Amino acid sequence: MRRENPWRDAVAVVALACVAAAVSNAVAGPERKLRWIGSYSASAPSPAATPAPGPAGPAAAVIPAAAEGAGKVFAPHPSTARVEISGDDVVALHKGGNVLFLDARRTSLYRLGHIPGARPFSVWEADIDDKVKGLFAEGRDQSAPVVVYCTGGDCEDSHMVGQKLYFVGFDNVLVYKDGFPDWEKRGLPVDKGDAP
Amino acid sequence: MSGRMLSPWLTARIQFVLAALFVVAGFGKIVDPPGFAHEIHNYKLLPGVAVNSLALVLPWVEVVTGVALFLGIARRASARIMGVLLVVFVIALTINLVRKHPVDCGCFGGPKVPRTDTQRLGDMKIAIARDLGMLLLVAQVLAATRREERDRR
Repeated sequence: MRRENPWRDAVAVVALACVAAAVSNAVAGPERKLRWIGSYSASAPSPAATPAPGPAGPAAAVIPAAAEGAGKVFAPHPSTARVEISGDDVVALHKGGNVLFLDARRTSLYRLGHIPGARPFSVWEADIDDKVKGLFAEGRDQSAPVVVYCTGGDCEDSHMVGQKLYFVGFDNVLVYKDGFPDWEKRGLPVDKGDAP
Repeated sequence: MSGRMLSPWLTARIQFVLAALFVVAGFGKIVDPPGFAHEIHNYKLLPGVAVNSLALVLPWVEVVTGVALFLGIARRASARIMGVLLVVFVIALTINLVRKHPVDCGCFGGPKVPRTDTQRLGDMKIAIARDLGMLLLVAQVLAATRREERDRR
């Protein structure tokens, strides 16, 4: 039997694992693929939204009509990446239409059920940066509200998506604090499948 | 360790158990690297730039060491790597347990059902106990293979 050399063997084992990981990641589908270098920011606590005065107030000039929900107007917040909003505010914004909804959960969960109109935007999947760039390239009003949600509780995925959007200039990202479980609890409509 | 504890019969079975646990744990993560990256990130111990690389490589290290141990190739190196990994897992879980930050262990892939914070803190204690038990198995393999080497000389 060959005499073992633990250090040489350990290097060989780790090298083999690295090669296997590289091959596995190269052939993985979009939902399984990862960028080798992650870009996840530490999630700082988000302040709660403080709605601006009504449409007649000073912020109203820069707020599109769609930003109004249940009488509240959500003004841009250029000094904060995102603010948290309640389920009532989310429902009102969704009813108002025209507000962009992003689902920060994994695409597999999105497929099982998502808020109607929401786009899949999982921060853990390799195409997240392309999606953010795509959103930027659409030429949207970057001060218009964008609602991002995940699973509520201690889920930080929506905050991380908010951070990425903030970096490209979106300054009115609203995080649905209680997330999709709250939406379901309220008995609101849910769409299934790949389409928003 | 006594002679009976280092018998080839026992060592072979412990190698098999360790190999099976590591291969199963590795494949549980390989099927969903983004999910495992998420789990690593939740530990809040590593900078964001290191999360993905670790999520990609670590499961394969587990699988390769498990297969090597099962086949009897590079047994000492595989057992040492397993030992290092288990120590790291125990430290990572303990740090989060001490700061009362519940995390899903991620040891065998992501959780299938949502867990409450209390449940997760309880699961973390179980995971630490399991990892310490596996460390004992690794110690047995290292001691037995060292004695084999010595006897061969």
